[in-house]
Amino acid sequence: MKKLLCIVLTLTLVLAFAACGAKSDEPYLIGISQYGEHPSLDNCREGFLQGLAEAGLVEGKDFTLDYQNAGFDDNIAIQIGQSFSAENVDLMCAIATPSATACYAAAEDKDIPVIFTAITDPVAAHLDSGNVTGTSDKLPVEAQLDLIRKLQPEAKTIGIVYTTSEPNSVSAIAEYEEKAGDYGFEIDAIGVTAQSEVTQAVDTLISHKVDCLSNLTDNNVVGTLAAVLEKTNEAGIPVYGSEVEQVKLGCVAAAGIDYIKLGRQTGVMAAKVLKGEVSCADLPFETISEYGVYVNSAACSELSITLPEEIVAVAIETAE
Amino acid sequence: MLDSIISTLTQGFIYALISFGVYITYSILDFPDLTTDGSFPLGAAVTAVLLTNGCNPYLTLLVAIAVGALAGLITGLIHVKLHVRDLLAGIITMTALFSINLQIGGSNLVVERATATIFNAEPIMTLFGGMSLLYRKLIVSFILIVVVKIILDLYFKTKSGLLLRAVGDNQTLVTALAKDKGNMKILGLVIANALVALAGCIVCHEQRSFSATMGTGQVVFGLATVIIGITLFRRMSFVKGTTAVVIGSILYKACITVALAAGLPANLLKLITALLFLLVLVLSGRKGEEIIHA
Amino acid sequence: MLELRNIRKVYNAGSITELKLFDDFSLTVDDGEFVSVIGSNGSGKTSLLNIICGSIPIESGDVLVGGESIAKEKDFVRCRRIGRVYQNPSLGTSPNLTMLENLSLADNKGKSFGLRFGINKKRIDYYTEQLASLGLGLEDKLNVKMGALSGGQRQAVALLMATMTPLEFLILDEHTAALDPKTAEVIMQLTDRVVREKGLTAIMVTHNLRYAVEYGTRLIMMDKGSIAFDKRGAEKAALTTDEVLAKFNTLSIE
Repeated sequence: MKKLLCIVLTLTLVLAFAACGAKSDEPYLIGISQYGEHPSLDNCREGFLQGLAEAGLVEGKDFTLDYQNAGFDDNIAIQIGQSFSAENVDLMCAIATPSATACYAAAEDKDIPVIFTAITDPVAAHLDSGNVTGTSDKLPVEAQLDLIRKLQPEAKTIGIVYTTSEPNSVSAIAEYEEKAGDYGFEIDAIGVTAQSEVTQAVDTLISHKVDCLSNLTDNNVVGTLAAVLEKTNEAGIPVYGSEVEQVKLGCVAAAGIDYIKLGRQTGVMAAKVLKGEVSCADLPFETISEYGVYVNSAACSELSITLPEEIVAVAIETAE
Repeated sequence: MLDSIISTLTQGFIYALISFGVYITYSILDFPDLTTDGSFPLGAAVTAVLLTNGCNPYLTLLVAIAVGALAGLITGLIHVKLHVRDLLAGIITMTALFSINLQIGGSNLVVERATATIFNAEPIMTLFGGMSLLYRKLIVSFILIVVVKIILDLYFKTKSGLLLRAVGDNQTLVTALAKDKGNMKILGLVIANALVALAGCIVCHEQRSFSATMGTGQVVFGLATVIIGITLFRRMSFVKGTTAVVIGSILYKACITVALAAGLPANLLKLITALLFLLVLVLSGRKGEEIIHA
Repeated sequence: MLELRNIRKVYNAGSITELKLFDDFSLTVDDGEFVSVIGSNGSGKTSLLNIICGSIPIESGDVLVGGESIAKEKDFVRCRRIGRVYQNPSLGTSPNLTMLENLSLADNKGKSFGLRFGINKKRIDYYTEQLASLGLGLEDKLNVKMGALSGGQRQAVALLMATMTPLEFLILDEHTAALDPKTAEVIMQLTDRVVREKGLTAIMVTHNLRYAVEYGTRLIMMDKGSIAFDKRGAEKAALTTDEVLAKFNTLSIE
């Protein structure tokens, strides 16, 4: 029994390794390394594939995909990067910072191009030069502040919960604090270290009598959004999201990025690199220039927020 | 396929340093030390900061060992001097380290590609410069793990090493030998966490990045590799514990490589690890408790 | 000389289960004496040993060795002058180390445990000779893990280890109680020989009245935290097992 098991295990290992080595010649092989499953990140991947299609690449004919997600484990992200490198993929698409640094480290030896997306600050992550490029999901902070001012002319304090270990959140908080004064706001930011602390932090902000909450693309906060909204609705405090999915869930509004669009932009860049039109090194990373304004009028009326005409004119309604 | 094997071996060697640490605390000292989850990123955080500030890459190894030792010392002091239970002492240090790591390295710190690491600084380039980076990483991590393994094996044969092994085995004997068992436990924790921080340091060199969340699950990894390694080789007494856990580490990393290649969703990886773990334990007929002191 | 002066020991002080064991207990053991201590369960025999070794705290009183107080010393510090063999054979040795490693550790007691090689090859002949003298066939098992040996073999090695380096007292804590009668007899004879050869001062707690009568130079019977019976020298030599048993029964019946 035990011997049999040993043999089976060994065989599985060998076969699987052989499988890693097998590689078809013709179509491009693209490895997508996504940090974890999460609506925004999933939209990035979705958009990326649309972008490739837009550039005329057909899956199965022009390229094959190896999609892996790390389940939010940094160490798995490392192994995903290395398995792509071992597979000799033609291009790695990395979604979120930990996956991007891991892919870029694994690609160092073979100089495989890496295209990233959903990274707030590519410069800080040293992903701004070399055989790497992509798109940044830097939040349109000023647009968000402007939106809040228009919806709540009397508001003074914006409460924000963020995770101290998420690089995207830390840099977004810095920008919020820098720009808030220009719009007459004060920021009351509370850092958490785990998802379990988010609702507690929200309680604290409610007791601070903040006028509203504004979300970042923070994984822990977005992950507990339903519970957060339950608390804020009871307290009568509106929550502003950072992208469309959050507004669908019940945030009043958001000036946010459309991650599908961001992914599409990334996919178009990837297609150029694959076709050899341009190298990653010569293609600077892009920040999404347009942002969408999303509103949930049902949530607004519940909190007696009246939407000004100028917002209604441009906003996309998400409530069903 | 060869590349896949090489990078899996490299990962196995580097992370085996964690296995050594857990082998000392869990298997030798019988001390469930959770400090590991904090001392691993601690090693990486100081390394990332030092490298970005132009520190000699080899010096970072020593600094990581020193800060890891300090983390172990703190857990040891909390346990021995303040009489806090072993598990809790580790949790306290681990929790504190999470904040300390954020202070040192921020949430994420990336080392530029132009910065020299132990894999491409002199004298490695003179010796192995002709090879690709993939092979250089394998060779450097192999040399490192062999050196650490030999040092540990030799240490276990010294008077201090024998006494350390005796502490986990039979504390009463250590007292009877007129030695303070508490001090020996502290020594074991110091050595173990120095090794774990060294692992973090090497991972930082290899990945060129530190992330505050990289320590999550390292204790579990360490335990799994120690138990897999020791269980597989328990009938072969000529295989030393240190060798067994290195093989455990390689097998663990190989399983993940295989699972990824087989297209298993990462969300299921942890479940598969748990099942593999259970399988090894059940088939071996020992359910974990005997692994201590094996 | 070992002195216990006015010892007071209370278990679970302040709670409902409070138990006052010793109140003003004193005992003096002269150098070279081999004291057997008997008494029923709860009479304070093992607590007495634990107080000498510093394994349990005392409320008040003093423990002196050669006129010098050791009451404030920690257990492991006191162990520099004390050797102890326990009832449980596995407490005296390290089961996952080999016999040679165990003996080497014991041989190094009192010296520094630094980074020198743990096993001194030059001492192997000495260990072999000592093991051979036990007559248990242990001399060719130096590289066997301690845990693989029988309880009696382990206890013999534990005794050897406890007495390997110079010591002032040997504490024997019912050290034959967990062994079968035949092995117990062997270990008891061995103990007597080691104590005589090395001229040790020894305190032996035992449940075996015959051992207490046959061996040692002094016999103490304890009852409820005090000494009920104390005979030494010619008086002790003249004692018979029946006499002691009769006395023991009068105490136990109460």
